[in-house]
Amino acid sequence: MRAAAKAKAKNPKGSRKKGAARKRAAPAVSLAAPLAEAAWAEADAALAQALVEADEARSAKDEGARAAALDMLLLSLARAARRRGMTRIGEIGARESYDAKRHNLIDSGARAPKTVRVAARGVSRAGQVLAKPRVVRARKARVA
Amino acid sequence: MTAWTLCIDFGTAYSKAAAAPDGAWARFDPAAVRPLMIGAHEPHGNAFLLDSAIFVDDARILFGRAAIARADALAGRKRMALKSFKTLLSVSDLDRALNTNAPLSIDPHRLFQMRDLIVLYLAYLLEAVARASAADPLLAEASRVSLRYAAPAWRSGDGAGMHQSIVRLFGEAEAFRQAAGKKLTAAEGLAISAVRTLLPKVMESARPLDMGLIFEATAAAAYTSVGLDDGGSHFIVVDMGAGTTDIAAIARVGSRMIELPDARVTLKQAGDFIDQIIANRVLDGAKWARSTEQKTELWTLLMRQMRDIKESVFEDGKAVLRHQGRTIAISLRDIEKDKDFRAFYKSLVDAYVHALTATRGDAAMRGQREVQAIPVGGGAAAPFIRELIKKKAAKQTPRVVPRPATPDWAHDRAFEGNLAPVFPQLAISIGGALAPDAMLAARGGFSPAAAGQTGIGAERD
Repeated sequence: MRAAAKAKAKNPKGSRKKGAARKRAAPAVSLAAPLAEAAWAEADAALAQALVEADEARSAKDEGARAAALDMLLLSLARAARRRGMTRIGEIGARESYDAKRHNLIDSGARAPKTVRVAARGVSRAGQVLAKPRVVRARKARVA
Repeated sequence: MTAWTLCIDFGTAYSKAAAAPDGAWARFDPAAVRPLMIGAHEPHGNAFLLDSAIFVDDARILFGRAAIARADALAGRKRMALKSFKTLLSVSDLDRALNTNAPLSIDPHRLFQMRDLIVLYLAYLLEAVARASAADPLLAEASRVSLRYAAPAWRSGDGAGMHQSIVRLFGEAEAFRQAAGKKLTAAEGLAISAVRTLLPKVMESARPLDMGLIFEATAAAAYTSVGLDDGGSHFIVVDMGAGTTDIAAIARVGSRMIELPDARVTLKQAGDFIDQIIANRVLDGAKWARSTEQKTELWTLLMRQMRDIKESVFEDGKAVLRHQGRTIAISLRDIEKDKDFRAFYKSLVDAYVHALTATRGDAAMRGQREVQAIPVGGGAAAPFIRELIKKKAAKQTPRVVPRPATPDWAHDRAFEGNLAPVFPQLAISIGGALAPDAMLAARGGFSPAAAGQTGIGAERD
């Protein structure tokens, strides 16, 4: 059994201080690793599909075939990410107040912008930001 | 040594089990929740899921993933695995259904009744639960384990009788498990000749298994409200599974949970019905598929990939697949335009409004200001169900509070972000294990869990 095997492997031998032993014993009862394995089992097929579609996109003979392969690549990647518990941050095209901590500004300029537009969404998992949303300077809305 | 509660969710496609220490409800610690790896003996896939399938082969009986693989390999010979036990166990005349012979496509030898096959599958499930319990470092040390199973609320139509039939089936399965042991989870399954000798003997002496019944809606209310200071008093649960869409309401009265029968609605259209709509829309659009052979091939491909297709349609608004060098796209908008879908959606809205009116009425009568709405099952991801709950959360009192399908505590650091992605699949078993006894629809006693004493025998691999 997977968990039992892992628990055994991590079980320290010999006598050690009780407090230290308790700390080391914690991963053996934690379900985080087998749960992660289960989530990966769900995500694997989608990730494999994405890799195949990446090849299709690269070797496509025309724009139509490339667009279809890219579509399938994106959908497969999105499924793999969801099954690993990832969520997207922001909405493409949304205007937001610029915050250097939350945004990855991809254009250059002397001054930090006040408002930015989301060019590519970010990704988070379990409350941790894995990739910040990529943003560009928002142009001022034209007054009619 | 701690006492534990273990709940089995006997699902249409997969069975699941989870355990929680006694008192988890009052002193909730997310890290103490133990989903069990009942599928860990299978070589691939999600270790927390056990395929609900049994296959009668030429000379052997196969279970779980092996049963599905063998049935797929013999699909051309019109052979099938027995699945969807849950649907069978939910029929109004259960004893009659159990005493019918299995169809020829399932049992070509004409040896088994449906009861036999269900008992055999339950024995396989109980053995998988026993192995998983023994492998769990916390559960293996349990002083005792009390057992429960989850079932849809609409089963309470003939209540106690149904529960007695189910615990009798589990009792027969446990007796068979004790006799067959580890062979049940072996990849090669069991020899039919051995089953024919053993099964009648153990069924004669079997006694009902001591286990409680928890309604699925109550389990959903339990995992939603556990650990919250104000967990709410009234819950309306929309559960779109594979075969049925069940809407049920639960109210907390003192320490007890009661089901509100007036709010209970079951629609016979659910996930499988949506699958058919999607497949029909694709077939209608595939003008190149003219012959029956081409159409059958496309239908088979669609059904094989339906889980992925539905997920992409629900979450990303569209799905694209390849078939014989062609790309085929289907969007959520295509589905929403479908006549059958529109009729289903109208029935769903009517059913939800009916159930919500009854739930709000009870909440108002008891002086409560809120009703919590929870989407569960495969349909929890469906945008039309989320929209329906949101749309009907009008500014009336008692107001409706839409709750997420995955509760906040499933994101607890103890799980390092790994419980939330698989939570929807395990939700009912987890809620069933967490719920206090007062929430049970029928009570069971205790099954000692220490090595080999009965119930769930604890035996390390």
